[in-house]
Amino acid sequence: MNFPKPHNPYGYFVSRLSKKKPTSEPARHARRALQNKSRLSLSHTVMALSILFLFLPLVVTVLYSFNAAKGMAWSGFSLNWYHKLFFGSEKLWTSFGNSFVIAFSSALVATVLGTLAAIGVNWYKFRGRTYIQTISFLPMILPEVIIGISMLIFFSAINVPLGMLTIFIAHATFCLPFVFLMVLARLDEFDFSIIEAAHDLGATERQTLFKVIVPAILPGIMSAFLMSVTMSLEDFVITFFVSGPGSTTLPLYVFSMVRYGISPVINALSLVIILGTMLIAFLLRNFLKNVAASK
Amino acid sequence: MSKSFGSFHALDDANIKINKGEFFSLLGPSGCGKTTLLRIIAGFEMPDDGIVTFDGKNIIGIDPNLRQSNTVFQNYALFPHLSVFENVAFPLRIRKVDNATIKRKVMEYLHLVQLDAHVGKKPNQLSGGQKQRVAIARALINEPSVLLLDEPLSALDAKLRQNLLVELDAIHDQIGITFIYVTHDQSEALSVSDHIAVMNQGKVLQIGTPFEIYESPATEFVAKFIGETNLFDSRVIECAPSTNDEFMVTLDVPELGKQIKVTDYDQTQSGQQVSFTVRPEKVRITLEEPQSTNKEINVFKGVVEEPIYSGFQSKFYVKLDNGTELKVFKQHQNYLEDGPDIAWKDTVYVSWSANDGYIVEVINQ
Amino acid sequence: MIGRKKLAGRNYGPAYSFPMGFWFSLFFLLPLLIIVAYSFMKKGVHGGVEWQFTLDAYAQMLNSSYAKLFVRTLWVTLVATVLTILISLPCGYAMARSKHQTLLLFLVIIPFWTNSLIRINAWIAILGNEGFINSTLLKLGILKAGLPLLYNQGAVIMVLVYMYLPYAILPIFTAMDKFDFSLLEAARDLGATKSQSMTRVLLPNVRSGIVTAIIFTFIPIFGAYTVPLLVGGKDSYMLGNVIVDQVTKARNWPLASAFSMVITVVSTIGVLWMMGTSAREAARNKAAPVKQDTAA
Repeated sequence: MNFPKPHNPYGYFVSRLSKKKPTSEPARHARRALQNKSRLSLSHTVMALSILFLFLPLVVTVLYSFNAAKGMAWSGFSLNWYHKLFFGSEKLWTSFGNSFVIAFSSALVATVLGTLAAIGVNWYKFRGRTYIQTISFLPMILPEVIIGISMLIFFSAINVPLGMLTIFIAHATFCLPFVFLMVLARLDEFDFSIIEAAHDLGATERQTLFKVIVPAILPGIMSAFLMSVTMSLEDFVITFFVSGPGSTTLPLYVFSMVRYGISPVINALSLVIILGTMLIAFLLRNFLKNVAASK
Repeated sequence: MSKSFGSFHALDDANIKINKGEFFSLLGPSGCGKTTLLRIIAGFEMPDDGIVTFDGKNIIGIDPNLRQSNTVFQNYALFPHLSVFENVAFPLRIRKVDNATIKRKVMEYLHLVQLDAHVGKKPNQLSGGQKQRVAIARALINEPSVLLLDEPLSALDAKLRQNLLVELDAIHDQIGITFIYVTHDQSEALSVSDHIAVMNQGKVLQIGTPFEIYESPATEFVAKFIGETNLFDSRVIECAPSTNDEFMVTLDVPELGKQIKVTDYDQTQSGQQVSFTVRPEKVRITLEEPQSTNKEINVFKGVVEEPIYSGFQSKFYVKLDNGTELKVFKQHQNYLEDGPDIAWKDTVYVSWSANDGYIVEVINQ
Repeated sequence: MIGRKKLAGRNYGPAYSFPMGFWFSLFFLLPLLIIVAYSFMKKGVHGGVEWQFTLDAYAQMLNSSYAKLFVRTLWVTLVATVLTILISLPCGYAMARSKHQTLLLFLVIIPFWTNSLIRINAWIAILGNEGFINSTLLKLGILKAGLPLLYNQGAVIMVLVYMYLPYAILPIFTAMDKFDFSLLEAARDLGATKSQSMTRVLLPNVRSGIVTAIIFTFIPIFGAYTVPLLVGGKDSYMLGNVIVDQVTKARNWPLASAFSMVITVVSTIGVLWMMGTSAREAARNKAAPVKQDTAA
């Protein structure tokens, strides 16, 4: 099953590390002929326009983050919104901190649980295996509203007050399936006979786990962890429903800014986030490339 | 029908003329440009310069779907989402032929390739040979004037290849259109072609009938690529006219250690460096020295290094007195005639007449 | 899966999988089941529910103003999905045949890495009455008054397409990348025009990719909340918004649950369809084991 990961398409890159393109000679000839054909076909035009379309809002936002005035009328280049962003927005940075705390902790839990489960499901047959496999991809399919509402009602029903804890639980829950699937995909390429060798040499299960399995799939685990962190940092809808007063995350804070007034500080924040994400993505890409190269 | 070409970086100044209704093969090792040539004819690539003409009309620039040629691909290129019937019917459906005619023609061509029984199957349920037949039927149903075949048998195993090749030949005889057949397997090309173009590194080295290609190779490469041979560098000592418009040439062959005689239709000049070849099956191998005073017989003495028995023939690698190895093939035509078997480490005499040798080409410095 | 088998005696499977299974059942499955249950209960007087079986919620759901809502949600979803797929098909094709695949992939994905709210905000900044488009056009004198580009259904559809385009491009691209382009050549060789070869050969063979793209577009859009909230007006309320309102404002949990059930059912059907298609296609592409070729 070749699911792209909708909430975080760059988890997609990990799955692309093992791809199969048709390799027969005519297929290669045909592909090469297509690559060399002229530029101006319909598909190229649509592609170019789409890329423009995708980048347009971001470009406009970034441009106007440097606008001296508040509105959309350009009145001169200025960095005062950036100044306000870094020095005048205490609440923003608090929510930023909240986001990170939740992201790392929920990613940790999700990674541990998901990795263990992937190991169990991949190599063992047991009752309930199908159950786990089936329910584990449900969260990827259901709209976030449903997940958010259901958790809200759930916490209400068991009288747990909404706050950092509930956000933490919710995030770990929706990151789990992605970790599970990513590690599972990694395990597919893993040679089970290494484990048999370890047992044969006297290792206990725990030793095998920590000294043999985990080191071998560590890149996969790390990718899954990072992806969880990213998804958690980004999430809005689910967090919206399960957060309480005083437990604002960055997306929630941005939401309130968008909803209740257009402060250009958002534009400045946008650029900071864009650059930050690109930086992380760039580092991640190199990391993954090294991982692929070292295999 | 004639076709002529120009140059392309994968094809260097290729010029070929193909006659109508022929079975014409493009033969050469991988990367020699034969597939590129075929794709240009089919319309999938454009040459940098040069033209392709069908019956005198230049078809360069015409889209592949409007050309009078159809292609059989190496990987079959069957449409996986369509059944056998629909695959073969595809060209007719494109042309909006009516259903009754489609049914009739599809069954006709499936019958031609003996696949009537598999009409409803999907390609992934067929074996390699069956898939190839579907591809052939599909390419023929439009009744093109030229059928292009791009190494159609190379993905099949040996026995099947032989059978299918014979069937292809039969289909060619039955339908009568021009076949242009690309292959790297010289025995395939030799067995069914009317004419062969031998190619290497983008250049066409020789065009001729299978007999011409085999017996009179134009270059060293052709000599080595087709069949097995013994090939030596040599120098012309003298060239004297002989009977039948031929010349008797005396060559000094350093690798053989002494001079030999060979006949040639062309005159060569003494002192020229030429390459000389004699096919292994034309070399006689005997345990006793041949008793002949005919000066035109070249005789050498040697020791059998490696006899390889193949059932209908034996291959001998004979190490001559001066160290050079000569390949000799001997067919076991007669159970009694051969006398004692020639075995390893036997001392033997190898001989061939001047007519059996061949001067391939003049080597320029 | 090399050497996959059970170790003699010790089956650690349950031990490994139990933690996640437990967490999941508790924090994901259980809430969903609660919603199912609540949809059949009676609305509590002060919010919450009363434990009494009733189909009130579903009945309420079927009344006319909600019916209009369903239709509108469905309509917006369909239009947005169709537009998204129509744009992604040529994009996926261009990417699949390109020499610079990774670069194009990045270009498609990078905007996606910025927070979704930031991107929505960017569109508000562009489309709003004091937004980029209006300000520029007014300043240039082309318009006398601002265009109401924002807070309507068109804006919702456009922003939805914007948000979900990458979700559609990726699976379509993946499927096309695995496609054997020599089949297109074969089609053209046999007489098909370019567009015929696309519709008759390319599209049927990337069906599973298209189906995946449809699922990953349709289902999230159907349950969309943020975009209609921020970019839409009163006439562009969607199912997701109603659910939230029922929970937070009207405190009518059964009704909210009933609506959620609808979305869940639609999503499940869609996923089953997708899995069915990809399973069928996998079976079709896997060569069946065949007896040895004979001469015939």
